[in-house]
Amino acid sequence: MKTIINFFKSVKLAIVLFLLIAVAFIIGTLIPQLRSEAEYAARYGQLSGMLIKLQFTKLYQSFWFLTLLILFTLNTITCTLTRLGQKLKKFLKPKIIQDERSLKTLKLNARFSRKGQIEKTISHLQRIFSSHRFRIREEKEKDRVYILGRKRTLGHFGSDFVHLGLLVILLGGIISGILGFRGNINISEGQTVAIPNADFALKLEQFETLYYENGRIKDWKSTLVVIEDGVPQTKKVIEVNHPLSFKGYVFYQSRYGWDWENSYFDITVKKNSDPAYQEIMTLKAGEDVLIGDSVYVTVLRFVPDFILDERRQVASRSRDPNNPAVLIDAKKGDELVFSGWIFANFPDFTSMHSEGESDFSFHFDRFHAAQYSGIQMTKDPGVNFVWIGCAFLMLGLIFAFYWPPREVRCILREESGRVEIFAGGIASKNRGAFQNEFDEIVKSLRSSK
Amino acid sequence: MNESLLFLIGFILYSLAALFYFVFMFSKKESSAKIGYKIAFVGLIIHSIALILRTIESGHAPFTNMYESLSFLAWSAIFAYILVEGKFKIRKAGPYFMLIVIALMALASSPLMPKEATPLVPALQSYWLWLHVSVTLLGEAFFAFAFVTSIMFLFAESKEKNERTGKTSLSAEKLDNISYKCIAIGFPLFTLGGLIFGMVWAYKAWGSYWSWDPKEVWSLITWIFFALYLHTRIVMGWKGQRSAIIAIIGFLAAMFTYFGVNYLLAGLHSYA
Repeated sequence: MKTIINFFKSVKLAIVLFLLIAVAFIIGTLIPQLRSEAEYAARYGQLSGMLIKLQFTKLYQSFWFLTLLILFTLNTITCTLTRLGQKLKKFLKPKIIQDERSLKTLKLNARFSRKGQIEKTISHLQRIFSSHRFRIREEKEKDRVYILGRKRTLGHFGSDFVHLGLLVILLGGIISGILGFRGNINISEGQTVAIPNADFALKLEQFETLYYENGRIKDWKSTLVVIEDGVPQTKKVIEVNHPLSFKGYVFYQSRYGWDWENSYFDITVKKNSDPAYQEIMTLKAGEDVLIGDSVYVTVLRFVPDFILDERRQVASRSRDPNNPAVLIDAKKGDELVFSGWIFANFPDFTSMHSEGESDFSFHFDRFHAAQYSGIQMTKDPGVNFVWIGCAFLMLGLIFAFYWPPREVRCILREESGRVEIFAGGIASKNRGAFQNEFDEIVKSLRSSK
Repeated sequence: MNESLLFLIGFILYSLAALFYFVFMFSKKESSAKIGYKIAFVGLIIHSIALILRTIESGHAPFTNMYESLSFLAWSAIFAYILVEGKFKIRKAGPYFMLIVIALMALASSPLMPKEATPLVPALQSYWLWLHVSVTLLGEAFFAFAFVTSIMFLFAESKEKNERTGKTSLSAEKLDNISYKCIAIGFPLFTLGGLIFGMVWAYKAWGSYWSWDPKEVWSLITWIFFALYLHTRIVMGWKGQRSAIIAIIGFLAAMFTYFGVNYLLAGLHSYA
């Protein structure tokens, strides 16, 4: 047990772990993480098998990286605790009695005497110390009075706060990893979606995309209503950087898109032989509609952004309606009277390119599709630990660097109407500034007032 | 007066300040360094006005693309220099530090960096942009100072060893001490701005405080190097050469986080 503690309390281990973790991080950023095996094979060839085996491709989840983190955690805890005991003892029960010789070895020391009794001198000293914001402890032994004045003692604990902060952050990370979850919901205007594993639902009342003058997207705004047991609880307009929080869940605006699966289309049918004939129909993909007395029209396929790919096949360049088109079939019995793509943006295209003669002509007037709002849902019970850890960490850094502890020790002895005083000062940081303060204290101690 | 003209004037003043510092370096005339300091100070004021104008014109924080953030890093560097020199009077670091500032300003002015202010993508529209970027870059400016004094330390040390001339006006020991002081300022700033504010903003914008994005990981690597610096120095009593080398590596890691990650590694931080 002792050897284990000795192993983990060593700062050398900390240094080695720092370096190993840094190296692991560097590897993790050089090799793209969590890609497919095929991608690694294409990228690294023969090496890819080894990289996958060593878990370099899912480094942050790998066994050996977690081992490093566990070692790092144990190291931090042991280092902190083994030092903390001594520090706390010094903090709570400091040694007040000290011999003159050890005061003499201090860089800052002074020896002088002043008129008066010892009690008066002590109260004089107390006044001076408190004006310099030193807290005092005193102890009597034989004919001597020992005084210890300290300030900013919390400065000794800076590193402990930092380490505690780090451990709390790591704890938060573990909680996030185990209990946290993340999901995406696509939700259309008017739609209500039940939140998985929760007892409430989310309704999207309104969704809008805001654009800059140059056409680039500025923001998305979703008006969300939280519904619990059928009763609306709260309403908030979320946008990027302004999520909605409810019962530990947070909902982020993350994307937008078109709900093409539930779209339908307005199509106008005309007859070449009868200019007066016109029929407007509204139908979904896959649906057929009877026109006239015996012709069935079907929308076989819809693409929002029509393009012919390299193999001359129809494809959609994107999910955005840049060039909406539908593929139409019209049949009279078994006879195909029309078949072809019609375009919303190019109404004359079909008549110019359709093969063969047909009495019917079709026009794609408009589509009806809801825009949906892409919302990321997060439940992360670890996150508050992380913030608390961060606060400790910052506090610790401030204590460590900007709250330098100072200590003044005095030995007082009364001798024939005079009080002899030895004083010594200790500061581990910012010694120059302390020297000035020490000199000031000594000066005012000497003065009779 | 427009922003780019003021930027140019600032650039010229910094170059002039550098010139005076180099004159000081060769002639050893203190007065020349003092003039350099004053010119750099005026340059900082002009540069500040340029940044303010930029903010007013674009309607957002002046560090959303490479040009802007380089300009702000140069500003932070001069700001750090004015503070550190004002306090410690280490004029000899001036010429070298000014070279870094000029390199940053030159890089910002290069035609490779698009200058026009573009409207912000949704993720960047947040006051955390101000907090996260400004505090981080300010911290990095102090790392830059420690980088310069650490390199100077390595030269000063070998010179002191070889010549046995004893103390010069700026001893290796003082340089080592100033490196430490700069890191003592830079490290808390970098921790707060780069890591903590970064995590808070990531949580607000992306829904996750940590995503193992290469820029996140590299800022953690930078942080580890400076943590290493502090542990070896405070607990193990390392000083001088070894400390200086760690400080140099730490700054290079910070610069890789700043530049390298953008150009070499893809990730969530692709916009800045």
